[in-house]
Amino acid sequence: MQIRRKCSAAQLLLLVCASSLSAEDLLVTSLPPGRYGGDLVVAERSEPKVLNPVIAVDSLSREVIGLMMADLVHINRESQRTEPALARSVDISEGGRRFIVHLRRGLRFSDGHPFDADDVLFSFQVYLDENIHSPQRDLLIIGGKPVSLTKQDQYTVAFAFAQPYGPGERLFDGFPILPRHLLIGPYKEGKLNKSWGLNMTAGEFAGLGPFRYKEYVPGQRLVVERNPYYWKQDSARQRLPYLNRIIFEYVGNEDAQVLRFQSGDADIISRISAANFETLSKQANGVRRLIDAGPSLEYTFLFFNLNDLSNKSLPQIESKQGWFRDLSFRRAVSMLIDRQSIDRLVYAGRAAPISTHVTPGNKLWASSRVTPVSRSLETARSLLASAGFSWNAGGKLIDGAGRPVGFSIVTNTGNNERLQMATMIQQDLEQAGITVRVVSLEFRSLLDRLMTTFNYEACVLGLASGDVDPGSEMSVWPSDGSTHLWDLSKSGLKSGWQMEIDHLMASQMRSTDRAERKRMYDRVQELIAGNLPIIPLVSPDVLAGAKAKLKNFSPAVLLPYVLWNIEELYWSEQ
Amino acid sequence: MLKAALACGVLASIHVTALLADFASPVPFATQQREYAFAPPTHIRWFDREGGFQLRPFVYARVDATNVKRYPVQFFVHGSSYQLGPVTLDRHLFGVAAPARLFLLGTDGFGRDQFSRLLAGGRISLTAGWLATILSLSIGTGLGALAGFYGGWLDHSIMRIGEASLTLPWLYLLLAGRAFLPLGVPAASAYLILIAVVGVLGWARPARVVRGLTLALRERGYVVAARGFGATSGYILRRHILPDALPVLVTQAAILVPQYILAELTLSFLGLGIDEPVPSWGNMLAAVQHYNILVSYWWMLVPALAPAAVSLCCFAIGDALLRRRRAVPL
Amino acid sequence: MIRFLSRRVLHAFVILLLISVLSFVFFQFAPGSYTDAMRLDARVSAETESAWRTMYGLDQSVLTKYFRWMRSVLRGDFGFSFAYGIPVSSLLWPRIRNTLLLTSVALLVSWSAALGIGALTVVRRSRAVESVIRSSMALLLSIPDLLIALLLLLFALRTGLFPVGGMASLGTAHTVIAHTKDVALHLVLPALALALLSLPLLVRHVQAAVRESMCAPFVQAARAHGIPAGRLWLAYILPAAANPLISLFGYSVGGLLSSSLLVEVIMGWPGLGPLLLESIFSRDVHVVIGTTVLSALFLIAGNLVADLLLYAVDPRIRWEQ
Repeated sequence: MQIRRKCSAAQLLLLVCASSLSAEDLLVTSLPPGRYGGDLVVAERSEPKVLNPVIAVDSLSREVIGLMMADLVHINRESQRTEPALARSVDISEGGRRFIVHLRRGLRFSDGHPFDADDVLFSFQVYLDENIHSPQRDLLIIGGKPVSLTKQDQYTVAFAFAQPYGPGERLFDGFPILPRHLLIGPYKEGKLNKSWGLNMTAGEFAGLGPFRYKEYVPGQRLVVERNPYYWKQDSARQRLPYLNRIIFEYVGNEDAQVLRFQSGDADIISRISAANFETLSKQANGVRRLIDAGPSLEYTFLFFNLNDLSNKSLPQIESKQGWFRDLSFRRAVSMLIDRQSIDRLVYAGRAAPISTHVTPGNKLWASSRVTPVSRSLETARSLLASAGFSWNAGGKLIDGAGRPVGFSIVTNTGNNERLQMATMIQQDLEQAGITVRVVSLEFRSLLDRLMTTFNYEACVLGLASGDVDPGSEMSVWPSDGSTHLWDLSKSGLKSGWQMEIDHLMASQMRSTDRAERKRMYDRVQELIAGNLPIIPLVSPDVLAGAKAKLKNFSPAVLLPYVLWNIEELYWSEQ
Repeated sequence: MLKAALACGVLASIHVTALLADFASPVPFATQQREYAFAPPTHIRWFDREGGFQLRPFVYARVDATNVKRYPVQFFVHGSSYQLGPVTLDRHLFGVAAPARLFLLGTDGFGRDQFSRLLAGGRISLTAGWLATILSLSIGTGLGALAGFYGGWLDHSIMRIGEASLTLPWLYLLLAGRAFLPLGVPAASAYLILIAVVGVLGWARPARVVRGLTLALRERGYVVAARGFGATSGYILRRHILPDALPVLVTQAAILVPQYILAELTLSFLGLGIDEPVPSWGNMLAAVQHYNILVSYWWMLVPALAPAAVSLCCFAIGDALLRRRRAVPL
Repeated sequence: MIRFLSRRVLHAFVILLLISVLSFVFFQFAPGSYTDAMRLDARVSAETESAWRTMYGLDQSVLTKYFRWMRSVLRGDFGFSFAYGIPVSSLLWPRIRNTLLLTSVALLVSWSAALGIGALTVVRRSRAVESVIRSSMALLLSIPDLLIALLLLLFALRTGLFPVGGMASLGTAHTVIAHTKDVALHLVLPALALALLSLPLLVRHVQAAVRESMCAPFVQAARAHGIPAGRLWLAYILPAAANPLISLFGYSVGGLLSSSLLVEVIMGWPGLGPLLLESIFSRDVHVVIGTTVLSALFLIAGNLVADLLLYAVDPRIRWEQ
């Protein structure tokens, strides 16, 4: 049946094995056995802030929570497909409107308390609670109505949606199951938002992840220890995880992170710049292994301010929007940009030039029909000429009204790569007589301009999809999306292709036919590459490193890049 | 005194070179020669590969791997045109013929000539450094002298306000200031406006120094005598106290100028620095603050010497003035 | 004495109040707010973001915000951190201890070094020594904070003599002695970095003060009387030079606190610096204001201590009172 497609035959086989052998319905993986023991030290640039999955917004907190909690169905970061987790299986019926989730039996939270359907019901009640404002809440509003849950028995929960849900079980990744027995009290008192901050004690916490909270030393480190009740086993029936403790050391910035990794104080490094990656690779000498996992899901891009500015009193910018709205102008700009040099100089060759927002790192959804942008000064010039632009005696580009063409590109400090890209674009466009001014702003100041005042002309930014599925791009591409950055004004001035994107994105969310969704999303990619609401630049690679003795270390392009298979990591003997 | 004269000469030549940066540098500071990213300083040779001595120094071109053709260093060469005051020129102090390149101090990550950037950066950084220093010192001297001379509640309130102003989170005001500046303001002017604000806010420290000095001076015999002769306060301040404060002010400048040049590092952290591609000593140094650059490309560190030289010259001049006046130091 | 002290404490209180008000006002001007970054989060809708704004009271007037904050200060919470979801005081206290440890050690090191170097140049009167010190001070002035910290870390990495950042190694907290030794070892480089940063200014002032007091008539007279050099220094020159130096001391506390910010960040010292920097960038208002008021408190306390010392050392001040 089409709907069961997510579970591969191998996984089903494993499920059968697992369920037949013990009262505790553990997941037996095909993993060759590893070795127990040892700690793993991770140097991080910022501190985790809250360990409460209901309100955590920063990426590091979510990463740490990911180690301590588990979800019903999980996306395998490597294969990019779903696999069963706390749910042994999910039956999808009524054309994708009803999910029957069968939970594993006999599992226990990290404090030994048994897990059952009540915990699932409680968790989703919390995520859906209007007074808690969980950031995940909006994902559970499908077809305008919140998901409704019913308990069928102690280990079976039915989810009902108002309309078929395209991404299917992927929904469940990102909704960690909470321990009802610990949190029901705070929830009833209205204090759930204040629970599980960094001032909690180990006894207040329980989860279903491979590790559990141990201690936090302010400004220094957070320690999690092995969860003895974890529900996964390797092929030799050894209970995972192998490592005793994971220690997140807090170091102030990337340089400090690199130094710690080099001195051997930290065992793993991730999210490093290509420049640092190169420096580390040169000195790796067998003790450390550096891995380039290929293009990430992050797409960096240049975009113009296409907002409706009629009530913003920004006449300067408004007068330039004539150019920005001109497709020939955008295409010419795109053709002028030397993406190869950006790849080589900014990313040390560790990035991929892109021509649409779906990067080569997205194995399942990248369209083969989108062609790469070829750089050509001549084509760009003829495009500009045909759109009514010309060049004055000094070689500067002027528009039909004789005004010199120039604009400013804003970008944020704290991200060297973006600033470097803007600087290179500046010189690239100079060749066609377009004067570009680069303005770097502190991140919040930039966001304020992008999202509130609309006081900018063009911007270089990067966005990273949280998942490969087109569902994760719903806030970006539909014209009413909250991250539809280039036109947040909801002016109603919609071009034909934007309306087509709106329609396609909405339909693919309702369709449960993978092939149909792929067809629609391919078309979206084509429309974006052809009409350039954003000018895609490059997709940086995921770069990481670890000590060579750490086994099963395998960075993926989906977040979290390195710790996603933490339960499988172990130290080899030598 | 010889030393002070030398210091003055060096200081003057640094400023003149910065002023004539376009002429003294072989290529425009913004030109990206992307195939030469992070090129080390070009080796200038007197001996060719056969070991023969050449009277005129020369370089080899990188494109020519066999190193047969010599490219002699030439002076007053034609190059890209630039504006010097009202006239447009295209002569540059030195250069080599293409395809050879002459990077005296190597290049940065875009293949831009560091030497050209150092000279051009001096223009901005020296202007910014002196502007902010003069603002701090003049406000600080004024308020400090008032506080020290009149004492009492005036002294007390000026000093307490100074204390408080050292701890206030001024950077929010700076962030707000940046947000109000239109995007069209040229990079250099936007930066100078901000650094001027920083200079004004930096009055408290020099004020404290000048106050201490004034306190000591006003009890001096000649000041008391002048007062006895009926001199007005304004006259005493102008005639006796401020001249004696001069060496101290020069020494203060020696401390403040590099501080304000480096202030750009902190400012650029907050998105308040000079924007690309305009160079400054501050943003050139900011680049070295990265581990990978520090360990891989030593020539990027050279710009650190520039503000140090300025500071050293100011120290020397301040000391010489101090010795000559035999005045109360600090 | 008591009157002098109580008046100064009252002043300090007024200044702190003023600083807290101004901080709130300034913060109002800075563009952007804490919840802005949520809008880049694909999961979060505009409605959820505005609900968080309301939850945090970001949509209220400055006055309301200030009074809410004041109430929470009186409760001892110093406001609520948006990012951490816990009271600011529980973030500040553990970190302020570390910052104070670092700055007090750095203060000690830099002052002893400055006194040593300053006295040396004045006593020796050797041109060579003087110019070496002058040029190294000029160079030190021109090296950015971060670079000094980075170079020291690089030194630690290459030689292995010191730990590469941080405050305590894992698993050394078994005995008090071992722990103290470990922290002391971690403390060396950050304290050195801070001391190096503040050295040029201090050396300059010490030189000036010592030179002045050596020129003073009573010292000349004492020297003429043949009083031995040691006694001359301890009993005559240093006490006379103390006055300007003591008042500089108060200010140097403030200077150290602000430069410790960046040093802590790169050296991974778990003080206020990294917290402050992150909260500035994320517009976590109460953390920033709490830290500002706290550092103002230290600066004022430093000045107060300086004044009390002056009171003890300099009879003229007692007389003025």
